[in-house]
Amino acid sequence: MSSRQVLAELLWAEKYRPRSLDEIVDQEEIVSRLKKFVQEKNMPHLLFAGPPGTGKTTAAHCLAHDLYGENYRQYMLELNASDERGIDVIRSKVKEFARTRIPGNIPFKIVLLDEADNMTSDAQQALRRLMEMYTATTRFILIANYPSKIIEPIQSRCAVFRFTPLKKEDVIARLKWIADQEKVEYDIEALEAIYELSEGDMRRAINILQAAAAIGKVTVDAVYKVVGLAHPREVRQMINLALSGNFTEARNKLRQLMINYGLSGVDVIKQIHREIFSQEIKIPDEYRIIIADLAGEIQFRLVEGADDEIQLNAFLARLAFIGKKLKV
Amino acid sequence: MTKKLPWIIKYRPKKVADVINQNQAKKTFLQWLESWLKGKPSKKAALLYGPAGCGKTSLVEAAARENGLEVVEMNASDFRRKQDIERIAKIAATQRSLFARGKIILLDEVDGISGMADRGAVDAILHLIETTRYPVVMTANNPWDQKLRPIREVSLIIPFKRLSERDVVIALKRICSAEKIECDEKALKEIAKRSEGDLRSAVNDLQAIAEGYGKVTLELVRMFSTYRNRQYAPFEALKNLFNAKYVFQAKNAVSQADIDYETMMIWINEHIPTYYDDPEEIWRAYEALARADVYLGRIKKTGAWSLLPYVFEMMGPGVAFARKIYRYRWKVFRSPQRLHLLAQTKRSREIREGIARALAPALLTSRHKVKTDVIPFIKIIFEKNPKYAARLAIGYGLAEEMIKWLAGPSAREVLQYFRRYKK
Repeated sequence: MSSRQVLAELLWAEKYRPRSLDEIVDQEEIVSRLKKFVQEKNMPHLLFAGPPGTGKTTAAHCLAHDLYGENYRQYMLELNASDERGIDVIRSKVKEFARTRIPGNIPFKIVLLDEADNMTSDAQQALRRLMEMYTATTRFILIANYPSKIIEPIQSRCAVFRFTPLKKEDVIARLKWIADQEKVEYDIEALEAIYELSEGDMRRAINILQAAAAIGKVTVDAVYKVVGLAHPREVRQMINLALSGNFTEARNKLRQLMINYGLSGVDVIKQIHREIFSQEIKIPDEYRIIIADLAGEIQFRLVEGADDEIQLNAFLARLAFIGKKLKV
Repeated sequence: MTKKLPWIIKYRPKKVADVINQNQAKKTFLQWLESWLKGKPSKKAALLYGPAGCGKTSLVEAAARENGLEVVEMNASDFRRKQDIERIAKIAATQRSLFARGKIILLDEVDGISGMADRGAVDAILHLIETTRYPVVMTANNPWDQKLRPIREVSLIIPFKRLSERDVVIALKRICSAEKIECDEKALKEIAKRSEGDLRSAVNDLQAIAEGYGKVTLELVRMFSTYRNRQYAPFEALKNLFNAKYVFQAKNAVSQADIDYETMMIWINEHIPTYYDDPEEIWRAYEALARADVYLGRIKKTGAWSLLPYVFEMMGPGVAFARKIYRYRWKVFRSPQRLHLLAQTKRSREIREGIARALAPALLTSRHKVKTDVIPFIKIIFEKNPKYAARLAIGYGLAEEMIKWLAGPSAREVLQYFRRYKK
């Protein structure tokens, strides 16, 4: 048991995540406002908005931690709009949660709803009613990348906190600190490269660092290699195979993708969509539009429950035909 | 690209004498044809009937060749379309010019109209027979349908016998020696027995085995035949589908196949590029199949079973008529990778989901984000650093199959460390 604990390793994004508001080094203004809530043992509904990886969810957990102590998670219902199956599921979970006991010294429990901007406006209306219904015993913390996608009546009921992209020096300082804790060798240029590639997303930056460190010394080359490996160009290869008129090989590639990466048909068509307007795909622009239109149609069919392979094969066959016309 | 000719085409009888057996039918048919050439036919049309693969069409083609006649075959999409029959009728009614070759008008498989035809088609055929200046030959498996009665009345009916096992063996032997393949006599007998007098299917079986294995032994035939009982049905259906000359045949190929239509779709999905190689044909065929799939989805969702004919029309004629030109296509039997594949992709997706479930609460993010943003990096760690990967696996309590999936080529190493550390 003891050796097991020594050997167990965690992802650095979890291992080095701040546990309390005091440990958060940036977003100073937000942190100081949140600390006030802790002091007063009270807070309104909150809306945290900002780009990915800027610490919104972490801040929510730190706040709850500081309010309730180590076992804060029993007083917090964590929901993620992109994983829950619709508002009905959310409603019944909130209902169930609101029924349980509230902690002695804090008069409310917290419902944390992440990626709330992924909800339809109808679902958000229902959410608004939920917030009102349980306002005596619960507070909602809503998290969103785009506050504009949250309906006005919800925004007006929340204190809004805007998280700003992390500063370059803060990200690099954090990466350095983690690398030192882990006794990882690194070039400072490599950490800069990680910052550039992660676009200010801390979680992504740490993931890149950890994967690069798993290979060896963290150098600029290693960083680029890791990012290349993480986002294989196989979808692009598949598209190019089809466009070169080689339907059968494109189909084999599709099968490989679905098996090796566990991608669903919708995953694949979405990735295809991202590639269509890339300059790596060498076709005249008017064909990009035709193909995008077709991809949209196929995605719709798949969402409706059509067969992944048949529909994607139909898509690739069309590409192969277009490819042949372009060559002639 | 070299195209292997299907043996059923390659060894089609060139002369009337090559048509196996059927002496009575030959005699009657040739006499009738001769009376036509002399200008005084007793009946203007002949209806050749008999079981599949007994030589009806072969006899017509061989006789035409020997007499220097051109065979005008009904190659429109469907007998049901009256105007197609009328078009042929026009050709038939045109006086032969002095220099042009004579003709035989061949309406293949007229019993195909019997199930669904309106009166119009039968009337059009009757009109054709009335006005023709050339011999009209029709073939049928079953000429006794009530609807065909008016046609029977104006036609000379020529029955063809079911071929005996001996007849089939003789034909197969000829092919074996021409192809210089080693053929076990007992094996040929077995093929013949199972063909039930259908020479066409016997020759196809022979070719499938010979091309698949380079020789034909009793053991192979038996293996292939047990195959046939269980799994040959889709192959047969595909062959009928891709070689359908008429819409009704393509529709029957899918709606009357011995397998359900969803399995049939999987087979078609697998074999469109087997039967077609022109990108346009492939695209059109897949487009039709994809439409069939959409209709099927709508049926399942809404229970609107009245949409089923559209499914058949898209996956049958839609796929068959994606071709630019008709050409008999015969392909070696190969079962789809799909079912196997489906299980694999499904398993792969479940494992990925399981990993996301294990990690999402710890990383304070959605399962969706774990799948798209985190797993790719974990995969790199698992592939490149097995020792460290094993420690992560312990940290998150991952199951062995998750480890295998993440580590890919390094699975064995990671698992070794993992098991050692776990103790």
